[in-house]
Amino acid sequence: MYELILILPAVALIISIFADVLWMSYLQLVISVLIFSTVITIAMTFSNITVFLGSFFFIDYINLVILITVSTLEMFVAFYSFGYVRTEIASGISKRKFKFYYFWKNLFVLSMMISIVSNNLGIYWTGLEATTLATALLVSFNRTKESFEATWKYVIMCSVGIAIGLFAIVVLYFTTSQVYGESLQSLSFVSIMRASSELDKNFLMLAFILALVGFGTKVGFAPMHNWLPDAHSQGPSPVSALLSGVLLNTALLGILRFYQINWAAGIYYPRYFLIGFGFLTIMVSALSIIKQTDYKRLFAFSSMENMGIIALGFGIGGIAIIGSLLQIFFHALNKGLLFLSSGNVLAVTHERKIEKIKNLSNNFPITSLVLLFGVMGISGMPPFAMFLGEIYIMTGVFRSNILLGFLVFILLIFIFIGLFGKVLKMYTGNMDNAERMNELQSEKVTHRGINDNKRKKTEGSVHPFMIYVPLILLLVSSLLLFYVPPQFLNIVKSASYEFQGRIIF
Amino acid sequence: MIMEKIAELFIILILVSVVLNVSSPFLKFAIKLYSFQSLMLAFYIFMGAIHFNSINLYGSFAITVIFKVILIPYFLFKTLKRVKMDKEIDMYIGIPEAVVFAGSLTLLSNLIAQKIIKIGLTFGSFVFTIALATFLIGAMLMITRKTLFSQIIGFLTIDNAIFLAGNSITHGMPLLVELGVLFDLFVSILILSILILNLRRNVAS
Repeated sequence: MYELILILPAVALIISIFADVLWMSYLQLVISVLIFSTVITIAMTFSNITVFLGSFFFIDYINLVILITVSTLEMFVAFYSFGYVRTEIASGISKRKFKFYYFWKNLFVLSMMISIVSNNLGIYWTGLEATTLATALLVSFNRTKESFEATWKYVIMCSVGIAIGLFAIVVLYFTTSQVYGESLQSLSFVSIMRASSELDKNFLMLAFILALVGFGTKVGFAPMHNWLPDAHSQGPSPVSALLSGVLLNTALLGILRFYQINWAAGIYYPRYFLIGFGFLTIMVSALSIIKQTDYKRLFAFSSMENMGIIALGFGIGGIAIIGSLLQIFFHALNKGLLFLSSGNVLAVTHERKIEKIKNLSNNFPITSLVLLFGVMGISGMPPFAMFLGEIYIMTGVFRSNILLGFLVFILLIFIFIGLFGKVLKMYTGNMDNAERMNELQSEKVTHRGINDNKRKKTEGSVHPFMIYVPLILLLVSSLLLFYVPPQFLNIVKSASYEFQGRIIF
Repeated sequence: MIMEKIAELFIILILVSVVLNVSSPFLKFAIKLYSFQSLMLAFYIFMGAIHFNSINLYGSFAITVIFKVILIPYFLFKTLKRVKMDKEIDMYIGIPEAVVFAGSLTLLSNLIAQKIIKIGLTFGSFVFTIALATFLIGAMLMITRKTLFSQIIGFLTIDNAIFLAGNSITHGMPLLVELGVLFDLFVSILILSILILNLRRNVAS
């Protein structure tokens, strides 16, 4: 049962080498739905921590939350890709290129799954580095100069960052090998947690700081973030959604594991590091959002801000941890819908600048509404589920320190203004007079040609899946505010207990 | 005792090769130095393997030689031939200053290592000092040089330093993990080579 989580993406990966693209898109739907239903079945019947495949992999409540997030978003992205591939092939991109698209995407999902459910920290590291490599050629999918430069920055910065993470694992291994001897067991997370009180505290602290800086590079914490907006905005839209919604959480899981070990060993001050990095990340992204001119970069900065909020919540502890765990799931859904619906605009207009895009409400009636409500959701407004996560985190922050709470609140208002003002401009906004004159003149010259052009620039030219998948995501994300499934709430509550070092093996 | 002396000789040669790398602008020489440096690392692991008589370390020696001494330099040479670069021109600071910096970084890492280390290590705190120094100098290489190729060399140096640290404070990571790490490193070098070729093509056109 548990093995299926790893076997299904591996099967998809192998088939995608041989199969035709259009066939593969059907098959991908089936496999993604199967993965989703497997994870849901596991979540419904889950009762305690389970180790499988020779104790190399395990599932506990924390990685179950992330597993649910990954499988849900992956299913929606598979449906979107079904339309995306057809639209792009119709607009003249060769089929051969898309064969690699499915290959790398499946490799990406497989390595992400491996690192999420890995029990051994060394295997977690290997999987995380593999995600960087699998997404490298997806980010440079458009083969422009900007995308190659973004990929270079992404691979070099993340590789060096994760190498520092490896140093953290080496230090941890040194500490635990004094208890278990030098074997694979001293890297196994479950064994480390069992022996946590016997470990050397100075080295654990050092390992946490190295892990925070190393894996923090991949999460996109503030001083190490400058690869993130480039890489996330250059990839094809479905890949951007996966990168922003899910991969950042996978990297955060590494930091959380080290945090858990430290907490269980009785070292409590790593939380101040999480609070500090989280706050700094929110501040930097708030200041950058205000002056953005590219809408995909805007959303990339927004996901950086949300990772900051999540880290802040984990640092504060108590009720904020429940908020952070909820936020991981809700943010993935909401960011997914933003990237997917802005992908529609990009696929039709081929324009990334905000000021070049106007009057979306006429040309893209459904997509633009989804975009507008999605931005409301991402900044934490009530009819959408992220309100729930954010209110828990903010309650925790206000309870622990009222001044910090006010500062974070002001920054959140800044972010709301920055995001909403820009998307509103895209939503309404009329064409300039000069542009309209131009259009009128050219219409006189070639009556027929301009009409064709006009028909192309609307929503009608994309595949219906691309329009309705973000809409369904929006509805799901709105519904989750009013009804969170009780089993999911149970998992989140148990996961927050795990952070206080109370693990029942 | 004599084993320790020989192992220390290999470690010193690693530091020497890194400093030589800082002092030379030639890219082909840099790759050769990297290969040499990895060979010294492998010999160091081999000494440990004889000393502790552990199969794990023999395996680690074998995969280090295969990946770091043979495969990665081979692909780097191939890429260099197709890119047609031979010399590093763009540097933020000159070579003499960089060498002085490298020396002071070595001193600094000695100070840090003596603060951290209290418990007895495999071959003393000496190895950890060199590992830290290699790490910092590799980072300096990445920062001060502008050419993409030198950034790869810097990244590889950092990676070697982490392997050295892993072998100094413990008897090497488990073989399975080490194999995964080396394979990832190898694939990342392949992808970076592809990116270099594409970037050059885009700049030229």
